[in-house]
Amino acid sequence: MAHKNRETETLSKAVARIQAGVLAITCGLICGLGLFAMTAWLLVKGGSQVGQHLQLLGNYFIGYSVSWLGSVVGLIYGSLFGGLIGWGIGRVYNWVVTLRQGPEA
Amino acid sequence: MSNVLIAGAGPAGLTAAYELSKLGLNPTVLEADDQVGGLSRTVNYRGYRFDIGGHRFFSKVPLINQLWEEMLREDFLVRPRLSRIYYRQKYFDYPLKAANALAGLGPIEAMLIGLSYTKARMFPQADETNFEQWVVNRFGERLYEIFFKTYTEKVWGIPCNEISADWAAQRIKNLSLREAIKNALFGSGRAADGQVITTLIDQFNYPRFGPGQMWERCKDLLASRGHETVQGVKVERLRHRHGKVECMYGTSSNGETVELGADHFISTMPLRELILALDPPPPEKVLQAANYLRYRDYLTVVLMVKREEIFPDNWIYIHAPEVKMGRIQNYKNWSPVMVPDSSRTSLGLEYFLWEKDEEWEWSQDRLIKLGIEECTRIGLIEPSEVEDGTVVRMKKAYPVYDQHYTESVDIIRNYLETFANLQTVGRNGLHRYNNQDHSMLTAVYAARNIVGEKNDVWSVNTEMEYHEEVRQSSTKGDRLTPQRVAPPETAEKVIEAAFAKLDPLAMGVALGVVASLVLFWATTVLLLKGGPVVGPTLGLLDNFFLGYSVTWSGAFWGLAQAAFGGFALGFLFAWLRNWSLTAYAFLVQRSAEAKERGDLLDKV
Repeated sequence: MAHKNRETETLSKAVARIQAGVLAITCGLICGLGLFAMTAWLLVKGGSQVGQHLQLLGNYFIGYSVSWLGSVVGLIYGSLFGGLIGWGIGRVYNWVVTLRQGPEA
Repeated sequence: MSNVLIAGAGPAGLTAAYELSKLGLNPTVLEADDQVGGLSRTVNYRGYRFDIGGHRFFSKVPLINQLWEEMLREDFLVRPRLSRIYYRQKYFDYPLKAANALAGLGPIEAMLIGLSYTKARMFPQADETNFEQWVVNRFGERLYEIFFKTYTEKVWGIPCNEISADWAAQRIKNLSLREAIKNALFGSGRAADGQVITTLIDQFNYPRFGPGQMWERCKDLLASRGHETVQGVKVERLRHRHGKVECMYGTSSNGETVELGADHFISTMPLRELILALDPPPPEKVLQAANYLRYRDYLTVVLMVKREEIFPDNWIYIHAPEVKMGRIQNYKNWSPVMVPDSSRTSLGLEYFLWEKDEEWEWSQDRLIKLGIEECTRIGLIEPSEVEDGTVVRMKKAYPVYDQHYTESVDIIRNYLETFANLQTVGRNGLHRYNNQDHSMLTAVYAARNIVGEKNDVWSVNTEMEYHEEVRQSSTKGDRLTPQRVAPPETAEKVIEAAFAKLDPLAMGVALGVVASLVLFWATTVLLLKGGPVVGPTLGLLDNFFLGYSVTWSGAFWGLAQAAFGGFALGFLFAWLRNWSLTAYAFLVQRSAEAKERGDLLDKV
């Protein structure tokens, strides 16, 4: 009984660590593909002023525009930027968890 | 070749001998009775066969299943199970079925049961040291009173609030969260070797001529290998010196003293008897502990009835307080060949007693008369239908788990471990309410310890199949050798990782830091680029971050606000994720435990 209670307690108290690399890839894929899809969607829809707001991202992602070439550039930028965000979240999270719980066994 | 002397030819003693013979050792078994099988023997009275209690053959330990199959082969039957509870002149399906129980108890009682169950679940008793508290916490006060109290007290002869909760915990698997989740994800109906396990609730295995057939056959197999089972010799003394037992002394049925020596000794004697038989006697403290141990005795009145079918059940639990019997076995429903004539039925009325009880001393005729009266009172038979009857008494059938037994067993165990060549196994040998399969497993472990393995026989209990099953190795030639199954670490790790909680504070900080840096970076990039109107679109964020603007001061103000907003979002996300995970795990555990408790009475 005592063993089982300890086991249940261990499981319910286990704190997750985040694999920063995995989160970076996940966020990178979401952002990269997301920006590619949004750009492509606006291009397919067409119109007189295609993606006037989205193209403001060009302020940050040099070379990006709402064009087919831009969508590929956006895919690369989005992936890098998303990856960086994911990696950052993972690292900061793990750092705080380590501060609070001690190093991972 | 080492000689091994085994006291007791019950399932544990004979299994030990059988295993030793396979290992190439020379076992000899001493048995006080004129029949082998112990509690698992089958008595033959004028062609009517009956058990000492019902013995369903079911095990999650592959090694034991293999032993059973090996001994019985085609005589190992698969039998359907039907059992009911008799209470208030009505029969209730067991395991309980809602519709049937509702019809039997009526809507008002059903409502009261529901209310009492809800109360127990919402406000459980914090102290759960005895059986009553254990059951009430899980079933509610009313269900406990109706379906558990009377029967349990009949069986054990002591109030439920004096029975240790350990007993329930050992017999009823109280699944840990981890196990429950594992079962939910990977399924629970498999033995260690992956074999699908059928539930005891629907059917069970049973030897064609009763459980005694298995042990008679085991005795014959031993004899064919040259190993003797000496019957009619009661072991009364074990002489020991310098931490080693030297010989066992017994008295044969004709009064002669028998003295046998060996290199190793295995005892299946009740722990109390074993301690009292040691010569020289153990320290006073150990003797005192042995004398604290209690055993419940058991008596069966068997009635032979001139009727082809009385009821369809294998057995009926008798909860009615107006009769003394606790259970009725219908042996022909266990195996059709348990009766010599299919137009007859034999019923086994089970009485659970203490040796000191008045009824224990009653004559056979008086007990048969009591049995007929009680069966008539509950409407099963007419007295004129009974054409014969007999009585079988079994002392020390059940080791009692009272509030003090663990302390006594620990003292005795520590003392016995000082002997280099003595092991104790089996239900009474370990004072543990094990089923037959686990008693057998303790014997297999003990036998293998003699050839150098280091198994802890005391670790075997009803829960062990989940962490210590043994299986056959296919890599070591023909001989079967045990091999511990490696814990399914991958599954454990997956579960631990999947159910580990996110730290809300850490997630809040992480999102806060990243969100604030991104906004700060986005603002400063635009400021550095400059232009007539800087960042009109990004400036729209002031709808959310009050006071934010694409300016240097706005960059810092935005950093602070994004940090706060990110923190709140991250914290909330982690908290919600943890909450839903906990809720899921809780439901899985409750559902698994409810399933385990479905056949509680079978384990009483």
